[in-house]
Amino acid sequence: MRALVVEDDPVVGPDVALALRDAGFVVDVAIDGDDAWFRGDTEDYDVVILDLGLPQLDGLSVLRRWRGANRSFPILILSARGDWTEKVEGIEAGADDYLAKPFEMRELVARARALVRRAAGHTSAIVTLGALTLDTRRMSASVAGRQLRLSPLEFRFLDYLAHQPGRAVSAGELAEHLYGAADASDSNAIEALVTRLRRKLGPGIIGTRRGFGYLLEGHSP
Amino acid sequence: MKVRSLRLRLLLGAAAAVFVALSISGIALTLLFERYIERRVAAELTNDARRLVAGLSVDAQGQPHASTLPADSRFAQPASGLYWQLSTPTATLKSHSLWDQSLPTVTRAPSDEWQTRTAAGPFDQELFLVQRVVRPDREGAPVLVQLAQDRALIGATRNEFARELAIDLLVLWAVLAAAGWLQVELGLRPLGRLRKELADLNANPSARLASDHPPEVEPLTRAINALADAREKDLEAARRRAADLAHGLKTPLAALSVQSRRARAAGATEAADGLDRAIAAAGAAIEAELARARVARMRTSPKRAHTPALGAVERVVSVVERTDFGADRVFDVDLPPHVLLPLDTDAATELVGPLIENAARHAHRRVRITGGPVDGAGQKIAVEDDGPGLGGARPEDVLGRGARLDESAPGHGLGLAIARDITEASGGSLRIDSSELGGLRVTVSWPAGARPAESARQRAQATE
Repeated sequence: MRALVVEDDPVVGPDVALALRDAGFVVDVAIDGDDAWFRGDTEDYDVVILDLGLPQLDGLSVLRRWRGANRSFPILILSARGDWTEKVEGIEAGADDYLAKPFEMRELVARARALVRRAAGHTSAIVTLGALTLDTRRMSASVAGRQLRLSPLEFRFLDYLAHQPGRAVSAGELAEHLYGAADASDSNAIEALVTRLRRKLGPGIIGTRRGFGYLLEGHSP
Repeated sequence: MKVRSLRLRLLLGAAAAVFVALSISGIALTLLFERYIERRVAAELTNDARRLVAGLSVDAQGQPHASTLPADSRFAQPASGLYWQLSTPTATLKSHSLWDQSLPTVTRAPSDEWQTRTAAGPFDQELFLVQRVVRPDREGAPVLVQLAQDRALIGATRNEFARELAIDLLVLWAVLAAAGWLQVELGLRPLGRLRKELADLNANPSARLASDHPPEVEPLTRAINALADAREKDLEAARRRAADLAHGLKTPLAALSVQSRRARAAGATEAADGLDRAIAAAGAAIEAELARARVARMRTSPKRAHTPALGAVERVVSVVERTDFGADRVFDVDLPPHVLLPLDTDAATELVGPLIENAARHAHRRVRITGGPVDGAGQKIAVEDDGPGLGGARPEDVLGRGARLDESAPGHGLGLAIARDITEASGGSLRIDSSELGGLRVTVSWPAGARPAESARQRAQATE
């Protein structure tokens, strides 16, 4: 697994790299924005740890350029600022997770691993069902060309339905698949999840078969 | 006694000055009136005297006779205060009112005009006299004609006049004092407005005194405004320095935690634990300081902004559902698009962020976000979860800065305290109770037209 650590601090950067190497990553380190942009644009990484306060080119700009150039590796932002406005900016620019300084190295490693696992679980890239397209690597969806960002839970929901062609799946089964073990109150959560997904995707994507459950309408003949 | 109140000083001064002026004019008027009365009495006595002289004759023995007497009946009553007397060198004729007494005679008196004088008379009376020497016959003896009136009668009239005048002047004094009070009130009213505006300025550093003050007060308001500008600039600079310092400390803290890790790797577990605790405490203090600076900046921001609640919530949810604790939660967002938060976009994000993060941390499966109008024009937004809820804790314990429902979930109480600060700085209120989903419900509501400055002043008064 390859990781890129973008951090200009002479103590923190090498230490993050060291911790990731200990965790089994092959690590490159970039200490300014231009270098980071070049490396990310030319090499394939499994995860990128990106500090926002960088010399020459700031972290958010680097992030936007990568995403604009369709670089889809998962990115974990590191920042000295802990406010929500910056978290939102980072995620909207295409980051996958966010960690505020000072952080615990254990947590950083755990999150980097989680990002890699999430992306690696879906090797085949695209699933298309009618108007709905699922990008299993980036965990995103598009409906008739409109890009949507999904939460991991929403993605897993759609992914599960996508692999049950033509079959209505009950709320209980969905809850059991999504949460491992299900209890009675979970069908309410599934209902809320469907409501939210329908609002995101628009009508005609997730169908209901009364008494049986949910299915993706793209499977219907 | 030293009078400090400007109003009381002006009022007392005006009242005293008016009182002195009215007293002097009262005394002067009374004296004038007395002289007028004397002239009237002199004229009346002269009139009566002419009547006497008209019928005056002197016989061979030198005895005067009067054939025409003055009509006033008081000449006939003994000691009535009104007298006449005709004296020749040998005999006198006098009014009944004199009884057995007589008027003080004089050896010389003018013969061509009526003379007035004051003299002590009978019955212990002080008399006002008119007198003249008359010769009824060219060869006959001269007759001293004297008519007199008791001065006490004049004095009584004067006193009566003075009393009535005093009452009138007293009323006049009251009216003038009231006019003075009105003048002072109207004159000092701009100062009252100034005081109110200064209170606003005190509560809200970005407020300024209005520019339409009277020209006499304007140099003062300009000076105060300049002072307020300087203060705000200093405050902003201090805040920026504090924020820079706080941000600047974060990377060294991260570096310190590197040292702690190395120490731990080298086997110095105890030292590493101590370092970690110190780093965590410093980090929490920095976060609290930055949050305070953000709220303070928001409170002084003069612009009134509105942010659609749905947009702010969706942006925060998109962050939270990527975190490890938010990845498995269902975010049940039920917000009509017209719900507006009375905050700018950044503040709305900082308010909604901790509420949703907090709910996601403690939720079992679901986080529900609802909102809508309250009481007509107000707005509210509620964030609920299906987690364990308060579990017997009191809502105020959750809200206390740094308090935590669950010590293992970091940042819990601090986040809610920040949310409450932002809410109150924008004139709203934050309430915590139990959700029907089973967990906590945090409701933030704003009354119609919530005004940040008012709320800030109330807070300032509450902490005094």
